[in-house]
Amino acid sequence: MNLTIALPKGRVFEEALELLAKAGLPLMLPEKSRALMHTFRDETGEITVYELRNSDVPIYVDLGVADIGIVGKDVLMEAGRQVYEPLDLNFSHCRISLIRERGATSTIQRIASKFPRITQRYIAEKGITAEVIKLSGNIELAAMTGLAEAVIDIVQTGSTLKANNLEEIEVLGHSSARLIVNRASLKLKAERIRPLISSLQELVKAS
Amino acid sequence: MSVIPFGTRYVLPPEWEWREQLKNKLQSTLSSWGYAALQTPALELHDPEHPQSDKAFRLIDRDGSVLSLRSEYTAAISRLLKTDLLAHDYPIRLQSAGQVWLRGLFSELGRLREFTQVDAELIGISSPAADAELLELARDALEAVGVRFRLEVADRSFVQAILQPTGLEDAALEELSEIIERKAQPELASKLGGYGVSGTLKAEILQLTDLYGGPWVLDIAQKMAHSSAAQDALERLRQTVALTGRTDFLFDLGMARRLAYYTGMTFRAYTPDFGQPLLGGGRYDTGLPGAGFAIGLERVMSALGAPPKLPTASVLAMGFAAAKHARGLGHRVVVAHSQNPLEMLEYAHKNALEWVAVGEQLLSLEHFAEHITKTGKKL
Repeated sequence: MNLTIALPKGRVFEEALELLAKAGLPLMLPEKSRALMHTFRDETGEITVYELRNSDVPIYVDLGVADIGIVGKDVLMEAGRQVYEPLDLNFSHCRISLIRERGATSTIQRIASKFPRITQRYIAEKGITAEVIKLSGNIELAAMTGLAEAVIDIVQTGSTLKANNLEEIEVLGHSSARLIVNRASLKLKAERIRPLISSLQELVKAS
Repeated sequence: MSVIPFGTRYVLPPEWEWREQLKNKLQSTLSSWGYAALQTPALELHDPEHPQSDKAFRLIDRDGSVLSLRSEYTAAISRLLKTDLLAHDYPIRLQSAGQVWLRGLFSELGRLREFTQVDAELIGISSPAADAELLELARDALEAVGVRFRLEVADRSFVQAILQPTGLEDAALEELSEIIERKAQPELASKLGGYGVSGTLKAEILQLTDLYGGPWVLDIAQKMAHSSAAQDALERLRQTVALTGRTDFLFDLGMARRLAYYTGMTFRAYTPDFGQPLLGGGRYDTGLPGAGFAIGLERVMSALGAPPKLPTASVLAMGFAAAKHARGLGHRVVVAHSQNPLEMLEYAHKNALEWVAVGEQLLSLEHFAEHITKTGKKL
């Protein structure tokens, strides 16, 4: 039975691949190349790994182009896709936080973020009237330059914030890598995916 | 500027014909089970209580009232049955096929905003036999179009029954159902902890996320079914499945949300060739009891692959009389648009026409070429 896996490129890719290999899939870290997909084989069938931008992982899994994927909860919350999320893989931890310049007290009129949906939800929950500015990278710069009064972004160690005179005002949520599964694949490929979920669960418990 | 709105598409030859054939196969299967075909208007009066009310396209009528485009057949047929237009001797078996529109959808692989549903409804009866009939009908219809599939049955009232002893408020139950629907076990565990749910009850609720697979799922579910509501849901599923005489169903007793109007069994068909269900349906026993399902025609087509090459016509007729004769033999015939046989020979080659009808004769293109030479280009 063939299996397709969507993984985000970068550091999570290596960690995810290692974890899946430990869980018994015949995967190896591919040599550095320009290949966008990697195929592995064992007696149970073929395994294809897609290397994607992290925000694209939920799309591939929701639409069934990939059977399973690994992606951060932050990305998943933003994507709002209908996928199964049976496991917290307990790596790649970060917080999703509201960040401002240290000491800033002005009214928040604009919030910049690469997570417009999460930001919109935050605004609705708080009952404030701020607008959302969708950005794609180095979000903190928006708060430093006055493009926005605050940003919503992920914080890992907080060192970027310190170095740039920013502070974490509020933690909106905690994120870590999640295993996600296409709704049809979980059912049709249960004999392959269910044991994978249990071995990953054991590995996560043991770590 | 785009030519048509996103999420809509032109259906061109040869796809249109293939699609109509598939639709006809599905509909004649439903007809052969005694499901009478009807059509409801594509324009509906907007109703905020409609299950798809938020997602339907809305239009403003001449007098300022709001209309919506048909977004599903189940609700449209329920509305029809509130009138006295049909004889109400229940049970009644109805089918409909046609386009439906959803504004809210992303337009992407297998998700158009204008799409086609083939729908069957068995109304006015609620029994395991009625549920089983729909499962068998769904199977027969999908087999008729030759698509590979597995049927999965579920019953969201089981999740409700297992959650009930928590004594939590509706909002909390809704939140938990949403998490169970995503099978997000770690999140469910921490939420339950937050609500002070512990011990066996917590363990059983957590198990809901793993209650999918073959018939053995029912046995595990049985051990958790302490309340009569949970036992009833399982017993009904068992009876339904037993009545079909089939053993190849998949089950998912962790299905928690689905469309809000389903009250009992729900079911879906998955195909290994496509990541989204081909068919979905279930029982809605609020008010007039009924159950039904809808097949997504575009999804069936995606699962089947590219349309087979269907030639528009196979015969070129030199004149209307020859054409009539050839049509009488069951051929698709185009009539020569020129008196010049050489020009028509070239046309026949270019358009992959196999035969030329001359009088009552059907000639292959080679014979037609010889015929032209012999008769000195005259016909």
